[in-house]
Amino acid sequence: MTNSFPDYQNSDVFLIIGANPAENHPMAMRHMGMAKAKRGAKIICADPRFTKSAAKADLYAPIRPGTDIAFLLGLMNYAIQNNLYHHEYVVNYTNASYLINPEYALKDGVFTGLAEKGDKFSYDNQSWQYQKNGDSVKKDPTLQDPNCVFQILKKHVARYDIKTVSKITGTPEDIYQKVCELYCSTGKPGKAGNLVYAMGITQHTYGAQNVRSVAMLQLLLGNIGIPGGGVNAQRGESNVQGSTDLAMLYHLLPGYLPMPNAAKHSNLKDYLEKETPASGYWKNKPKFFISLLKAFYGDYATSANDFCFDWMPKHTGGDHSHMAFFEAMYEGKIKGFIAWGQNPAVGGPAAALERKALENLDWLVGIDLFETETVSFWKRPGVNPADIKTEVFLLPAAFSYEKEGTVANSSRWIQWRWKAVEPPKDAKSDLWIADRLMKAIRKEYQSGGKFPEPIMKMLWNYDIEGHEEPDIVKIANEMNGYVVSDGTVLNSFGKLKDDGSTACGIWIYTGYMYVDPELKVPACKRRSTEDQSGLGLFPNWSFSWPLNRRIVYNRCSADPSGKPWDPQRALVTWDGAKWINNDVPDFGYKSGDQPIPPQVSAATPFIMTVEGLGRVYAPVGLKDGPLPEHYEPVESPVQNIMSKQQNNPLAAKFKGDFAKLAQTSSPDFPYVGTTHRLIEHYQSGAVTRNCPNLTELMPEMFCEISPDLASKLGINPGDDVIVSSARTEIKCKACVLPIIKPLKVNGSIVEIVGLPWHWGYQSLAPGSTANELTPYVGDPNTRIPEYKAFLCNVRKA
Amino acid sequence: MMSKGVLVDVTRCIGCRSCMVACKTWNDLPPKKTTFSNTWDSPGKIDADTWTVVNYYIIEEDGQVKWRFVKKQCMHCNEPACESACFTHSFVKTKEGAVIYKPTVLNQDYCVGCRYCMIACPFGVPAFQWEKAFPYVQKCKFCYERLQEGMKPACVTACPTGTLKFGDREELLAEARERIDSNPNYYKKIYGEKEYGGTSWLYISDVPFEKIGFKEDVSQKSIPSYTWDVLKWTPYIFFGWGAVLTALRAYTKRRAEVHNEEELYAPVEKD
Amino acid sequence: MQNGKKWRFKMTPFRLLLIVLVLIAAAAAIYRFVYGLGAVTNLSDEWPWGLWIGFDLFCGIALAGGGFSTALIVHVLHKDKYLPIVRAALLTSLIGYVIALVSLFLDIGRWFNFWRPFFYWGYHSVLFEVFWCIALYTTVQVLEFGDIFFERVNCPSLKKLLGVFMTPLLIIGIVLPTLHQSSLGSLYIVAVDKLNPLWWSMIIPFFFVWSAFFLGPAMVTIEGTLAARAYNREPETDLYSSLTKVTMWMMIIYFIVKMGDLAYRGVFSTAFNGSYESNMFLIEMIVFVLLPIVMYATPSIQNKLSGVLTASILVVAGVVFNRMNVVFTGMAKSVGGSYFPSIWEWLITIGMWSALVLVYCFVVENFPILPKEEPVSHGKPFGTGFHA
Ligand SMILES: Nc1nc2c(c(=O)[nH]1)N[C@H]1C(S)=C(S)[C@@H](COP(=O)(O)OP(=O)(O)OC[C@H]3O[C@@H](n4cnc5c(=O)[nH]c(N)nc54)[C@H](O)[C@@H]3O)O[C@H]1N2
Ligand SMILES: Nc1nc2c(c(=O)[nH]1)N[C@H]1C(S)=C(S)[C@@H](COP(=O)(O)OP(=O)(O)OC[C@H]3O[C@@H](n4cnc5c(=O)[nH]c(N)nc54)[C@H](O)[C@@H]3O)O[C@H]1N2
Ligand code: SF4
Ligand code: SF4
Ligand code: SF4
Ligand code: SF4
Ligand code: SF4
Ligand SMILES: [Mo]
Repeated sequence: MTNSFPDYQNSDVFLIIGANPAENHPMAMRHMGMAKAKRGAKIICADPRFTKSAAKADLYAPIRPGTDIAFLLGLMNYAIQNNLYHHEYVVNYTNASYLINPEYALKDGVFTGLAEKGDKFSYDNQSWQYQKNGDSVKKDPTLQDPNCVFQILKKHVARYDIKTVSKITGTPEDIYQKVCELYCSTGKPGKAGNLVYAMGITQHTYGAQNVRSVAMLQLLLGNIGIPGGGVNAQRGESNVQGSTDLAMLYHLLPGYLPMPNAAKHSNLKDYLEKETPASGYWKNKPKFFISLLKAFYGDYATSANDFCFDWMPKHTGGDHSHMAFFEAMYEGKIKGFIAWGQNPAVGGPAAALERKALENLDWLVGIDLFETETVSFWKRPGVNPADIKTEVFLLPAAFSYEKEGTVANSSRWIQWRWKAVEPPKDAKSDLWIADRLMKAIRKEYQSGGKFPEPIMKMLWNYDIEGHEEPDIVKIANEMNGYVVSDGTVLNSFGKLKDDGSTACGIWIYTGYMYVDPELKVPACKRRSTEDQSGLGLFPNWSFSWPLNRRIVYNRCSADPSGKPWDPQRALVTWDGAKWINNDVPDFGYKSGDQPIPPQVSAATPFIMTVEGLGRVYAPVGLKDGPLPEHYEPVESPVQNIMSKQQNNPLAAKFKGDFAKLAQTSSPDFPYVGTTHRLIEHYQSGAVTRNCPNLTELMPEMFCEISPDLASKLGINPGDDVIVSSARTEIKCKACVLPIIKPLKVNGSIVEIVGLPWHWGYQSLAPGSTANELTPYVGDPNTRIPEYKAFLCNVRKA
Repeated sequence: MMSKGVLVDVTRCIGCRSCMVACKTWNDLPPKKTTFSNTWDSPGKIDADTWTVVNYYIIEEDGQVKWRFVKKQCMHCNEPACESACFTHSFVKTKEGAVIYKPTVLNQDYCVGCRYCMIACPFGVPAFQWEKAFPYVQKCKFCYERLQEGMKPACVTACPTGTLKFGDREELLAEARERIDSNPNYYKKIYGEKEYGGTSWLYISDVPFEKIGFKEDVSQKSIPSYTWDVLKWTPYIFFGWGAVLTALRAYTKRRAEVHNEEELYAPVEKD
Repeated sequence: MQNGKKWRFKMTPFRLLLIVLVLIAAAAAIYRFVYGLGAVTNLSDEWPWGLWIGFDLFCGIALAGGGFSTALIVHVLHKDKYLPIVRAALLTSLIGYVIALVSLFLDIGRWFNFWRPFFYWGYHSVLFEVFWCIALYTTVQVLEFGDIFFERVNCPSLKKLLGVFMTPLLIIGIVLPTLHQSSLGSLYIVAVDKLNPLWWSMIIPFFFVWSAFFLGPAMVTIEGTLAARAYNREPETDLYSSLTKVTMWMMIIYFIVKMGDLAYRGVFSTAFNGSYESNMFLIEMIVFVLLPIVMYATPSIQNKLSGVLTASILVVAGVVFNRMNVVFTGMAKSVGGSYFPSIWEWLITIGMWSALVLVYCFVVENFPILPKEEPVSHGKPFGTGFHA
């Protein structure tokens, strides 16, 4: 999130799209409620289902799964056509005035540069780039040049008028009109629109483009960097923010540093040169990266040996994401698997196949609280355990309340949590397990190995005399960053050096373990509720990365002259002589003791991009186009009416059994299936289905169908039904409620089937797994599976 | 201590049911096995092991769907019907405002298990341990032991949205009035302000209460006052009716001269 | 029939069946005590009171109303011609109360606390009044019956002693049931907004006591006829005909007050709104109130045994119907859920009523209950067919 949950109280209008915070982020809902109570904020909810969040909304817009790009581009079009966008913001703080290569074009639904190689498509993004005059980009601040980003965008979104959007999305025109009016009312200076999204946006074969649409809309309306605004992804697992920060992703290192690539980066210099941009804050990358190497390899890392750059694992450009990994496992190419706090047998797409893939393993280690479906795949219904040769280990892990450490939430707050209870029996903290695992591996390497140095020489000194648990504070300090010579814990990544004198495990966290001089505790342990600004910034509650900044890009909350768009909601103010700051400024505001005048920072308010500006057009960054374009989900009941390009040409697809897909408007699978969550269960349900208090509240797997469809199929509430897809079929209860209604899409009626995905064959309350039905396709950028839109059928069991 | 209350603002509730889980865990109530509920609100109703439920109501008016989530529990009546109905004084309205069942809360076991309290409660709250050989009546106790410690009830503490607000009843009433007066969306009524003589738990809503499981035009008089209107005649009837009968008997006896009391109970003649 | 020491109880196949039923009920009752009410009843939180309270207690007590109404007529008003039936009425009443108490004991969850209400003055509870009155009245009835008992079990001194207290006992024995018969109705005053307004009323206590009273003669008529049949005696049709005139007049008043009450509370029209409740109410009023009134008022019917008996059966059934309407029909909509007694509830109820019949037979055969021949005799000797 660019903003934070308590900041929601500053919003005037919320657009919740593809998220259901009432169900999945109840604490976020609290803050929306406060905005309603405090300032009469309005809530719009766009969701295929009338969710609990919709129940709290002032305006509910039903939307066909997978059509958010049309929905969002239509909003942009409405804002531009009716001059409701935030003109001054767009001109000054975005790349709207930049001129684009005249060769750029969108034709037949695809952008210039599309090439086919084998059966895979990719773009050459040469034609998408800015026009340059030597080193500087050509601009037209009047926004009139037909090749300027604004005109290109205007032309692009003009195709998404209200009628067309309604035809694609199924959102009735009058409702969509109201959404446009209400949400675009936040384009005025002094108005804040808050865009709240989650998996309804991301889990598509164009999920990243969906997110782009969200960001672009917010830029157009001047809603980024201001209190009550923002692009606010409601994040998932309680510490998923932390785990992405810490790079639980195969292509990244902690702090969003790119993973070295074997082909591209032959040495440190190579890496630093190729990965460090000339402008923007990322030009400090070498400091972060070298400090990271110091944190990894300690004294072994010296400038003489490239700080052990060679010891770093490097990737080869291959796809090692979840789906590719399981495809490889299915093909027998992967022999061992540690399922550490994950349960793909329930959570992965085409789950029946992923379960089958597990059969090819020699060994499987589950590190979990419960005997999940994944670790018990060998005795799942329908298989003979004797036929499965995989050796399975289950290491009992301690639950979050049974250990201490930090959790980073969606607000980017890193909060220390203390241990509440001892773990039961043999259960151990993940840290303990990781520590022992490392030591055991080192022991193995003592008798030799292929490349022992990175293992044997990694800095690993977390033992405390007389304690079982590793020294978690030491680890936290290492992540925070310290001065190598004396161990001083740093308060800002501004102090990191590229000479090996500092070590830092994750630069964006620097300062979180720094002891607050007043409160006398490390920043992440602070719990002060003081809030002088009255804006819900709570600067002394825990630590918000980066640098305890509560709202990022906050330079944008004031006009170029430094005057806040809304004096009532001022984050930073130039009073004519100096900056008065409520939040930690996200720009250079003083140099030594000298204030830096507003004109300087007004030129680059988005310090993380190369341009220093918000991108309403992205020449780089996404593989599948500089602008979002509507495509149908890979499985769709209708033709794409925008172009003959039915699907995202770059959508990730897989081979063999994983390639089973329903054709467009398949008569066998006439309805649109979509998966979602329930408040009572968490994810694959491993924990919650073992919690009797929760299974009592939500005992059985079901699918939601509209009363219309139910009466058409003769299905009564609570009947057993079979839901089928091109993958397989499952049995569950029928839930018949008017929270799902058929949509009129381009003249035809489309029925939607909602499926919670929390059930599996294990636990106190077993049930069918929705993911047996989901398709094995994903987004080309993030590789997230298309869990949210596929074709299915329903019949009485 | 001022009499406490809880203001339930239905417009804020998101149906997360944290309150239910908090109630069960705080009060050590066993969860039970349930089955699919089309309305998503299993177990759906209050019982001896479930002192609070959040019921879901879908209201469809001209194609528009409204979905409301409404927490239900003992209302903690100002003049509780359950207390007045109980002939063993097993219920008591405490000064904190909580209506508690003494056998389990205070360990004062007078209850005979007649369940008249259940008939009496206008909200259908007290529940019985049907499966026990030595059953108790059970219901929400307003977390009495927490109130005494100056804490909020467990459910209120757990509520993430501010739907539940704990405080002095009088202050909550003022706040409720202020909320419904300042926002046209509210339905203009504070449920519990006057119903059955007033309750410690108060509700405000944006839909009519009858659509979310409350009876609206109910008595504003407390239920105990109804019974008392009748019961207060008992001594008069006892003595008055007794006197009338005695007089009548004396009078008619003199008239029926031949009447012989003995004859009445004289032995039946032998064969 | 002697004052001799030998107790008599003649076995017949029918009585054997009754004994078996009583034994089954006893077994079920033991099961209930061990495994709780949930194990044997269909009671629920919506329906905390079921067959045992609704029928055995409410109707049992009402049907036992014959005891106090005849007592009033005979002992207070000194209508001596009704003397002969007073003992039978007293006996059925006593047995009725014992059944009510037994069913109460079965029904209360914490039966071991049954004595508590004596010590905790829950005077604000209608149940408190009901409890005390029933407890006291049962005692009074036992004492009244003691008079008969000590005739059989020879003990003249005690009988004499009782005789001294007979007048206050008789008065109390009428006052108490007046109170608790009405209180049984008052119990439902708490059910304001729960009990359908066709039945809920602030004067429901009046309706209850009034109907319990007018039920008496009808009940005596039925019991008398039954006993006459069973013991092969001549039914006292004249007596019944004149006695039930009381019933008729009281029912007329009942009906008028009922209508007035409905009108006063503005719910008169709901009786015709076609709902289930309104239909049940109409049946109650037309079939069980108006019809018997008409029958009693029609001499050709009233003076024939079959006529007066049929009308009386209607009256008795009507009171039962009324109580059922109050306990079940009128409550159903507001409490939700559904209730139908389980097989075990039925068996226990049947067992209790079987016990009533058995005890009645036993007592009648061993104690001087049924009238002497003279006042009602139509010439047939008392003796020969006495043994049923
Ligand atoms: N109780 C609970 N809370 C959770 C979780 C949980 O499992 N249980 N999981 C956590 C995790 S890991 C995550 S990632 C988050 C996810 O949080 P959310 O994204 O809010 O979760 P979902 O319910 O999967 O999807 C949100 C909504 O998207 C809608 N939707 C489906 N398809 C589309 C579409 O094409 N367009 C639009 N606009 N909407 C669509 C669904 O109907 C659903 O209501 O929740 C977190 N919080
Ligand atoms: N159809 C469909 N599928 C989906 C989604 C969807 O919306 N629709 N959403 C996707 C999303 S957003 C996500 S995040 C994934 C989640 O997919 P997974 O991460 O596979 O699912 P979880 O159930 O969260 O698995 C977490 C496991 O960690 C265990 N665990 C909990 N705490 C600890 C701990 O402290 N230590 C250890 N070692 N283990 C612990 C739990 O018991 C559980 O087994 O699912 C994806 N799958
Ligand atoms: S992270 Fe925890 S507190 Fe926050 S919404 Fe989810 S369950 Fe609630
Ligand atoms: S709601 Fe019912 S149980 Fe609660 S205090 Fe009132 S009468 Fe008693
Ligand atoms: S069941 Fe217990 S608490 Fe309820 S009225 Fe009877 S004695 Fe009182
Ligand atoms: S007040 Fe206490 S007992 Fe009552 S519902 Fe809340 S948590 Fe449960
Ligand atoms: S905890 Fe609060 S928001 Fe959640 S269901 Fe209960 S009352 Fe509603
Ligand atoms: Mo997630």
